[in-house]
Amino acid sequence: MASIRLENIVKRYGAFTGVQNMSLDIADEEFLVLLGPSGCGKTTTMRMIAGLEMPTEGNIIIGGEVVNDIDARDRDVAMVFQGYALYPNMTVYENIRFPLRMRRVPASDQDRMVRTAADMVELGAFLDRKPGALSGGQRQRAALARAVVRQPQVFLMDEPLSNLDAKLRQSMRVQIKHMQRQLRITTVYVTHDQIEAMTLADRIVIMNKGAIQQVGTPDQIYTDPANTFVAGFIGGPPMNLIEGTATGGRFTAPGVNAPCPANLSGRITLGIRPEDCTVGGGQVQGLVYGVEPTGDVTYLSVLAGTKQVEVKAARDFRSDIDVPITIGFDPARLYFFGADGQRIRGGA
Amino acid sequence: MARMRKSRGESLLLRYLVLGSWALVCLLPILWFGTIALRPRTEIVTPQPIYWPTWSLDAWHLLMSDWPIALYLRNSVLAVGGSVIIDLILAIPAAYALARYDFKGREDIGFYILSTRMMAPAIVAVPIFFLFKSVGLLDSIWALMLIYAAINLSLVTWIIRSYMLDIPKELEDAARTDGAGDLRILWEIIIPACLPGIITAAVIAAIFAINEFLFTLLIASTSGAYTMSVALANFTGGSDGVIYNAIALVSFIAFVPVLILVILIQKHLSRGLTMGAVKG
Ligand SMILES: Nc1ncnc2c1ncn2[C@@H]1O[C@H](COP(=O)(O)OP(=O)(O)OP(=O)(O)O)[C@@H](O)[C@H]1O
Ligand SMILES: [Mg+2]
Repeated sequence: MASIRLENIVKRYGAFTGVQNMSLDIADEEFLVLLGPSGCGKTTTMRMIAGLEMPTEGNIIIGGEVVNDIDARDRDVAMVFQGYALYPNMTVYENIRFPLRMRRVPASDQDRMVRTAADMVELGAFLDRKPGALSGGQRQRAALARAVVRQPQVFLMDEPLSNLDAKLRQSMRVQIKHMQRQLRITTVYVTHDQIEAMTLADRIVIMNKGAIQQVGTPDQIYTDPANTFVAGFIGGPPMNLIEGTATGGRFTAPGVNAPCPANLSGRITLGIRPEDCTVGGGQVQGLVYGVEPTGDVTYLSVLAGTKQVEVKAARDFRSDIDVPITIGFDPARLYFFGADGQRIRGGA
Repeated sequence: MARMRKSRGESLLLRYLVLGSWALVCLLPILWFGTIALRPRTEIVTPQPIYWPTWSLDAWHLLMSDWPIALYLRNSVLAVGGSVIIDLILAIPAAYALARYDFKGREDIGFYILSTRMMAPAIVAVPIFFLFKSVGLLDSIWALMLIYAAINLSLVTWIIRSYMLDIPKELEDAARTDGAGDLRILWEIIIPACLPGIITAAVIAAIFAINEFLFTLLIASTSGAYTMSVALANFTGGSDGVIYNAIALVSFIAFVPVLILVILIQKHLSRGLTMGAVKG
């Protein structure tokens, strides 16, 4: 139960900067999700909070106390490691019990706590196995159980569900969220899965190349992206980003002609989410490139000039490829970004 | 298809043939002195070839009545076993420090440790003799224990270190966030995870120590501190001339513990234990 504050954190490995000038306030009891492409510094950030890595510059403050010089074992955080890090010589039971033993939890409570944690991750039947005799998903769940078996100040979870099947992932997700709300423990969670990020997070931090791109609630990140990186990263499929020219209140690109604010001019990027596009309408003239029915909705790709525009179409939409088609944009849902990729606010 | 299968069978046969003949070449001396040990003395020295040997336990009876083999075996076991224990007690923490802690000159120290192994032992033989003489440790298995330990320490450290380097760092990180201190981590995580390496190192050290000759001869001035290796060299059969079958038997007895150790090491040479610790 603690707030976390990162002040101008820099982490360099030799000449390479893993995390650059990161400042972030994580509220007490908050569920914060770190989201970003592979290698953007998520694990590094977590490891610095855990005390396993020293920041090159900056301060880490947990519960109002600067913890830069406090050893990992005294920070009272529990971490799920991306690579699981199960102790190979111990059974699942002993693995889960290890943090309890180290923290001198009374022996009479240990057994009950281990079994509760194991049941939560549905590993109750595997307590006597060594990690080597578990499947990847079972190992991952054992690692999760080892972290949640006690109640630390902070949970750090580095892609704790990445190796599970869709069904188990969904149920674990609900469990984690429920547990976090119940125990009210500040949690930092890394994932590559946008659904996970959207459903779990109080706030999402989008990172790229070691730098924070945007911090906000899932809604803010989705409806109000700060730049083309965030816009192109969130959503499935993500926002269409079309480079073109603005003159006199019109945005034009090969095959695209849409309204834009009259004050914009020069090279800009237009953004429109697939779900804000409709079949028919005059903004895009192109050819059908592909149709992907998913049952729920049908994804349609339209080739406009050399650019593919993704459209979320009605579930019963079907078409041959190379058929001429027009696409309309919801004019209230257009985003514009400058040549530097930053959002141009003021709307359409 | 059929042809492929046939050629694979042929190459397998060839492989067995080559490996089998090589094994035979290696094993022949052992088999040979094995048979000598079990035949009567007169038969061994006849110039005519013998196709069907007569078996006898003459050599065995002679040894049991005439030669303090139990003492030599005991000396060997105590000196070698003690030296290995000393090595492990010193090498495990040293290896851990060399593998994990980041300190100035770490690579250099690692190299210095190994370099003690590069020196020819004869160079230090005389100083060592006087050293042990002045502390009154001549003719004692304690001295042998110390010397064997010193000879093998660097090697044991390096073998264990290399196994420790293979243990994923995330394991220690996990233990640390779980609240374990350095000693706990070493004892509960690192040592169990590199147990195959520790056993391998211990067995190799034991084999070297069992076969150690030069320093043992130097320190053990009377047969009271003889180990098998020196006793064997001194054993010729005494007043009755060279008794080849007894020599062969002694060699065989000296060889058996080493054989057992090698079989042990084989089982543990597979580095399977860290499997399952991490994703890959
Ligand atoms: N010990 C190290 N030495 C040098 N570079 C490192 C080290 N650890 C991490 N890096 C680099 O820092 C960057 C960030 O790594 P990090 O593990 O934080 O990425 P990540 O966001 O967790 O990626 P992923 O999603 O693939 O797990 C990477 O480019 C990585 O190569
Ligand atoms: Mg990572």
